[in-house]
Amino acid sequence: MIQQRFPAAGDIEAPVLLEELGVEPDGGPLTVGDPRVVDFLAGFAGRLLTPGGVRRFPELASLGFFLRRAEITRTLDRLGGDGTGLRFPRGLVFHVPPANVDTIFVYSWALSALAGNRNVVRISPRAAGAAERALEALNEALAEAHPAVRRTQRMVTYGHDDAVTAALSAACDLRVIWGGDRSVTEVRRHPLAPRARDLTFPDRTSFAAISVSGWQQASEATRAEAALGFFNDAYWFDQAACASPRALFWLGEDDAALVARGEFFAHLRRAVDARRYVTEPAMAVQKRVAAYGAAADGLLRSIRLLGNEIAMLELVDAAALPMGWMGAGTFPQATVAGLDALAAVVGPKDQTCSYFGFGPGELDRLAHLLGGRGIDRVVPFGSALSFSAVWDGYDLLAELTRLTVLEPPAASRG
Amino acid sequence: MSGQAGREAALLPVLAELTRHHRRACPPYDRILAALGVPADRPWASIAELPWLPVGLFKRHALKSIPDEEVFRVLSSSGTTGAEPARIYLDRATAAAQGRALASAMAPVLGSKRLPMLIVDSAAVTRSGSARGAGVLGMATFGRDHVYALDADGRPDAAAVAGFLTRHGGGPFLTFGFTFMVWLYLYELAVEHRFDLSNGVLIHSGGWKRLEERSVDNATLRRRFAEDTGLSRIHNYYGMVEQLGSVFVEGPSGDGLYCPDAADVVIRDPLTWASQPTGVPGLIEVVSILPRSYPGHVLLTDDVGVVDGVDDGDRPGKRFRVLGRLPRAEPRGCSDTYAEPARR
Repeated sequence: MIQQRFPAAGDIEAPVLLEELGVEPDGGPLTVGDPRVVDFLAGFAGRLLTPGGVRRFPELASLGFFLRRAEITRTLDRLGGDGTGLRFPRGLVFHVPPANVDTIFVYSWALSALAGNRNVVRISPRAAGAAERALEALNEALAEAHPAVRRTQRMVTYGHDDAVTAALSAACDLRVIWGGDRSVTEVRRHPLAPRARDLTFPDRTSFAAISVSGWQQASEATRAEAALGFFNDAYWFDQAACASPRALFWLGEDDAALVARGEFFAHLRRAVDARRYVTEPAMAVQKRVAAYGAAADGLLRSIRLLGNEIAMLELVDAAALPMGWMGAGTFPQATVAGLDALAAVVGPKDQTCSYFGFGPGELDRLAHLLGGRGIDRVVPFGSALSFSAVWDGYDLLAELTRLTVLEPPAASRG
Repeated sequence: MSGQAGREAALLPVLAELTRHHRRACPPYDRILAALGVPADRPWASIAELPWLPVGLFKRHALKSIPDEEVFRVLSSSGTTGAEPARIYLDRATAAAQGRALASAMAPVLGSKRLPMLIVDSAAVTRSGSARGAGVLGMATFGRDHVYALDADGRPDAAAVAGFLTRHGGGPFLTFGFTFMVWLYLYELAVEHRFDLSNGVLIHSGGWKRLEERSVDNATLRRRFAEDTGLSRIHNYYGMVEQLGSVFVEGPSGDGLYCPDAADVVIRDPLTWASQPTGVPGLIEVVSILPRSYPGHVLLTDDVGVVDGVDDGDRPGKRFRVLGRLPRAEPRGCSDTYAEPARR
């Protein structure tokens, strides 16, 4: 049995759900950038951006900004401007978002709705907090929305029911799977129709890079701002989101890097204190287990702690990072000579490089050195977790639409 | 010197020697201490200064100070369901020393002769390979003529208990079980059938969480058993697979858990990691001079406890209580499972 979270309604069986989604809505099928959807998203964004809502769930504020009318228009303009053909919706899209990042499901869904698709989003039974609030706001916004939104968009929760996943998979035109390698493998057991395909988001990790000379040249105020941005990037999702920086690479001379590190972590400690961020004892112990384990494996030269909140792990080899999640606020770090050395340690699982102190030329050179081998995003400190319509190397709106090539008749060609 | 000061004076040089021994014999252990900046020849002024390892480290890492061919037994812990078990490597000497330590820790409570033993569990648990089963088997060696108080389906077996008491209830006997089972099954059964347990010695262990839900604390358990069944010799104990010889047994009056001769406890402040004063709760660190085959002589547990007094109770040394377990730290994140990313 499927629980209907948005639009909130009684339980439903998969075949009935699919049949309902097959009915053409009032005013005709949705189109790319359909005003009925744009209005709804803007209304929803407004509800997220109330002062009280922002305070309680800051991650919903980011979502609200992402869905403001001006932002939506910009996203749509970019899509329209590529001139490769006419854009149409793909049809029915089935989303399987991760259980433990509360807002991904909304981004995934909103872009797909904007593309004019009919959507079924599977919401984890574990979803809580910000996810609950987002669902509430969606249902509230529905009251003022065009009935076509209600007809075409569904967010549902069901337990471990393979039959439901199988039915939705067989019926959809595009399946979007978040949640890492295991989720992707798990969901892929269920076949798609021959014309359909998957858009998958497997396990990714991210790192941060600081230019030692950039740091040396920065003012105290700029340094403090960088540390605060880094704090947000690293600690917001307990350093466990795909885009959260884990390793920290210093580009420059060893001696100068040592000085810069001392200054940087003193700033980070101040940022931690300013935000009143406290590591719980269980997390503190978990961090020790991870750090001691990496040392036991011979990966670390030293472990230095600035309270329970910050663990600095000096890597023996910049290319040999400890595996897995090491607890919130654990930073394996190494000094590398330059961009070439940094590019050499990047692998295909690396998603985001958040940076400080580099000029545009250096960043461009880094991207070209990598040549797509790894790293889909190079973003300044403070932006690592900002969702964008281009993610994991995909232009999502383009993936969520299909192209019709329209060649004008020969006579009209100039 | 006697009491706690004497214990410290006796244990510290051995612990310091063990720290040096493990650094020589267990390279991963040496790498940890080196990374922490601990000089190899550092002198130690107190037990609380010694570097500790978190018990969780033994789940992922094979830490041993003996060559593979000297491994005599590998112990594994239960942990919570689904968690990886710890692996503890014993050679013959360490296994024997831990066995002797367990016997000597139990001796003041049990005397030197094996007593008829009523086990508050089902015989099936000993064949299950579980940590509970291993615990029952370990304690069973202290008794004889074992009778299980639960049937194969885990239901209380009144006839079996009645039979045991008819045969052995007139003289001293031993009864053992996990704390919540002792309360749920033995106590309830004894009250219902008016069994006389006054000649028994009860040894029990395990968390209080399920009893707290029923508002039963240690004092209540002791009082109700004494009043309603006549059983007044009751000893809770605390111990773990990661440091098997360290069995902390409750004194006769129930005023706290006491350290066996070869062991000690330190309560640590989870913010500063300094040793807490008496009366202030913190994480329990267990210290023992027995682990020679693996670097488990100074271990930080996941348990929260408090020292209630030093040299002021039933026995010399620290007396402490276990207050509960730290909750597990769970990450948020995009990946549902947090599978290990490949090494670059």
